[in-house]
Amino acid sequence: MNEQLKYLHEALKRETGLKYELYLHTWQTDFLRFYQSQTNYNISKDSINLSARIYKGKKSCSFDIDTPDKAKIDEALDTALKMIDSMPEDPDFVDLEDDLSLAEPRTVANNIQEIPLEEKTRILKSLAAKADEHDFEIFGTFICNYQTSHLINSNGLDKIDTQSPIYLEVKAVQRKNQVTVLETFGGEDFAYFDEAAFAERLLTKIRFEQNPIVDVEPGEYEVILAPRCVAEFARYLSYGMSAFSVDRRSSFFEGKVDAKVFPDLVSITDNPEDPELIHSSYGQGGHILRPLKLVENGYFRAFMCDSYYHHKLGLPKNGNQGACLTIAPGSSKLEDMISKVKKGLYISSLHYMNFINPKETSLTGLTRDGTFLIEDGKITKVVNNLRFTEKISRIFENVMELEDTAYSIPFSQNYADFSVSTTKAPHARIKRFNISSSTKTI
Amino acid sequence: MEHKIKQIINKLADPQISFADVRITFTDYENITFMNGNLRSYSNSKASPAIGIRVLMDGCFGFAGSKDLSDASIERLIVKARANAIQGAKFQKEKLSFPALPAVTGEYIHSPKMDPFLMPKEEKLNYLKGLAETIKPEGKIVNSHVAAEFERQEKYYINTEGSYSHTLVYNTLPLMGVVAADGGGVQSRTWPGHMSAGRAGFELFYEQKFEENTERIVKEAIDLLSAPVITEDKADIIIGAGHLALQLHESVGHATEADRIFGQEISYAGKTFVKPSMLGSFKYGSDILNIYSDSTDPKGMGFHPLDDEGVPGRRVDIIKDGILLDQQSSRHIAHKLGLQPSSNMKASFADDFPLVRMTNLCIAPGKGSLEELIANTENGYYLDFTKTWSIDDNRNNFQFTTEIGYKIVDGKITGIVKEPTYFGITPEFWNKCDAICGEEEWGYHSTFHCGKGEPGQVMRLSHGVAPARFKDINVSVKI
Repeated sequence: MNEQLKYLHEALKRETGLKYELYLHTWQTDFLRFYQSQTNYNISKDSINLSARIYKGKKSCSFDIDTPDKAKIDEALDTALKMIDSMPEDPDFVDLEDDLSLAEPRTVANNIQEIPLEEKTRILKSLAAKADEHDFEIFGTFICNYQTSHLINSNGLDKIDTQSPIYLEVKAVQRKNQVTVLETFGGEDFAYFDEAAFAERLLTKIRFEQNPIVDVEPGEYEVILAPRCVAEFARYLSYGMSAFSVDRRSSFFEGKVDAKVFPDLVSITDNPEDPELIHSSYGQGGHILRPLKLVENGYFRAFMCDSYYHHKLGLPKNGNQGACLTIAPGSSKLEDMISKVKKGLYISSLHYMNFINPKETSLTGLTRDGTFLIEDGKITKVVNNLRFTEKISRIFENVMELEDTAYSIPFSQNYADFSVSTTKAPHARIKRFNISSSTKTI
Repeated sequence: MEHKIKQIINKLADPQISFADVRITFTDYENITFMNGNLRSYSNSKASPAIGIRVLMDGCFGFAGSKDLSDASIERLIVKARANAIQGAKFQKEKLSFPALPAVTGEYIHSPKMDPFLMPKEEKLNYLKGLAETIKPEGKIVNSHVAAEFERQEKYYINTEGSYSHTLVYNTLPLMGVVAADGGGVQSRTWPGHMSAGRAGFELFYEQKFEENTERIVKEAIDLLSAPVITEDKADIIIGAGHLALQLHESVGHATEADRIFGQEISYAGKTFVKPSMLGSFKYGSDILNIYSDSTDPKGMGFHPLDDEGVPGRRVDIIKDGILLDQQSSRHIAHKLGLQPSSNMKASFADDFPLVRMTNLCIAPGKGSLEELIANTENGYYLDFTKTWSIDDNRNNFQFTTEIGYKIVDGKITGIVKEPTYFGITPEFWNKCDAICGEEEWGYHSTFHCGKGEPGQVMRLSHGVAPARFKDINVSVKI
């Protein structure tokens, strides 16, 4: 055990009448950012953080320490213990996590070492050369992280979770008109990265971008949503599947457990056991993560709930957080799905979505990185980015068919702390997708 | 610490390194959240350290950062930053360069009226608990929160040109909100809205009149449950200062970050519709629109004596009389565009890589009060308190929803509307601005949470604005 974590643990054990939860996080990243088919900057960062949440009855106090040492720990703990009696109570707090189940041990390679900067540069140079043949340049990021999280609590939990996410995002941009396409790889096992296949998928999209650019009018369209879009809509939808949203009275699914909410072909699971996804062993508070059926053949099944909300709301506890969402594939071939669209859109990626009313799942956002017009079953033209204003619940209600393959899509959690997670989804054919405004060609 | 950072920069005096800089920060942070009248969380961190070393070698930047300031860590970071630059240069077509600047030194020590880290904890908690109890769930109010974030950051900066600065600032983010539900719908109201932060201490709660507005947000949230929506396709809208700060932020601020012109942010935050050829001639807004970036004003959170690559704080006209004149830039990009660097390179913490960031981006005031502007508006809506925001990756097509709209008929407010939503195209929208309120309505509206860059950073920054009116705006979105 880390010396500082052990020191804090021992100090707290000497106190009586306290409950506590301690986390030691270590984090490293090697981050290559590129633009115009060249390096923008290379970054290496690391941190060690020790955090503690201490309860005395229903009163609590938390602190965290970067690069902890004994003197910092003594000072922070002393301050917390002096403060805690004067803190207001949280009457809803009952207990910390008490699930002692341990996940199967697994070996996690440090991908910062497995994929050195020289190898990243080689791959990018190769992709840049291929894109250049079509007058495109590449922009994006190639990231490897290595992180561990060690949790101890006063109920006897002692759990370690290690991850080493890989995130490769390559955006190809046409020099002449700045249209973009996107290809990504995410996971923890670089053996799943097929460089030739990745390049071919990128080039296929680049070839579609050679078509003429047209503007389309707002209105309802039949659309083919790429896996990235289906995955992102599911991630937003999953907010309403959290106990937190129920407590906020802003869950679309409140009062709908075991109710039919979507067509039969829609099934969504939080599945930490899928080997293609970035693995998480434990959820918030340390509950072991197991596959949790959220939507099964169109029926809503369960809320994701941690120990706090389990006690507060009486919902079954599972610890899931939606970090490994999988949308089950259907039975259709993508080519067949596109061929059924008389006039519609293929949407590759989404941008800047925000809820208008989370209870109603209404939101707005834009298309990005490859929006195409489909005419008589074929992709014929490039379309400028479009704005949609929709309800995610309606999008899933309007699923007509799903592709027979689901893909692991990486998303970077990039707003404050940097992390990577993955969601698995197939292409989807959706009716009556509401395009609320368009942007004319500049 | 001054001695230590000078020792580090001396280690980077190497002919192979054409430029280098070092930053060290120590950050105190405290977060207090009450939910439904009860304390949900209290957390703090003290003097959290960070260091970042950036070197320019063979025309490429390499960077290494850590929260470990030990000598061994610093040696490791120097080696890593150099290696990152050398390897990066092998995948580079254009060698990065910029002219040298004269050495400058700067110091700024900020003292808030009520230091949130020194005032008695009981006083702070009792005040917040009092607010939380006033708005706790009752009747149609089903959820409420009161939150406060306090930050104190000390920063040291040095570069190989001999520039050095030392600053200490306090930032505070206060917020409260309620959620109302009646079985059918759910509506929310916050105070004072999302741009509520400031370069201040605990006094911000008093300056922003939290106690005086608890009843208002409770009443308005409940009233919104039965309020109508806007039915017109187009309307004249007056945008309140809090929300206008976000409109400015998204559709001018990010659009005029020059790194976007060259695609340095395409992979995450996006690009911009602005092109270098537009500088000096593009009609971005109406004639009354004057927008400037001002890192010399200590009242805003974007103030600094030097930015994070050694450029002294500046006031730069971005838009003058409606014409796009300049950009927010780094030294490298300013050099490429033939501009003077605008002093906009900032990093959230020392272990973050500096990026082109807004500092204090402001709309110059016009004339008159908000009351007068409403009285001079025949029909329309007064919108404020951001609920939803979204803009495309060219910073061109935007759509915003506010928590509440106040209907104006014959110069008077006659009622409210729920979820008023408007959309537009950036230059078309700013060219429809026909009135901006005066100095008496002008103030800073600030955020803790401007996200940009990879690895992601959230920047503290400010917008100086007064309410403004926009004619004939599209409000036809039906949800």
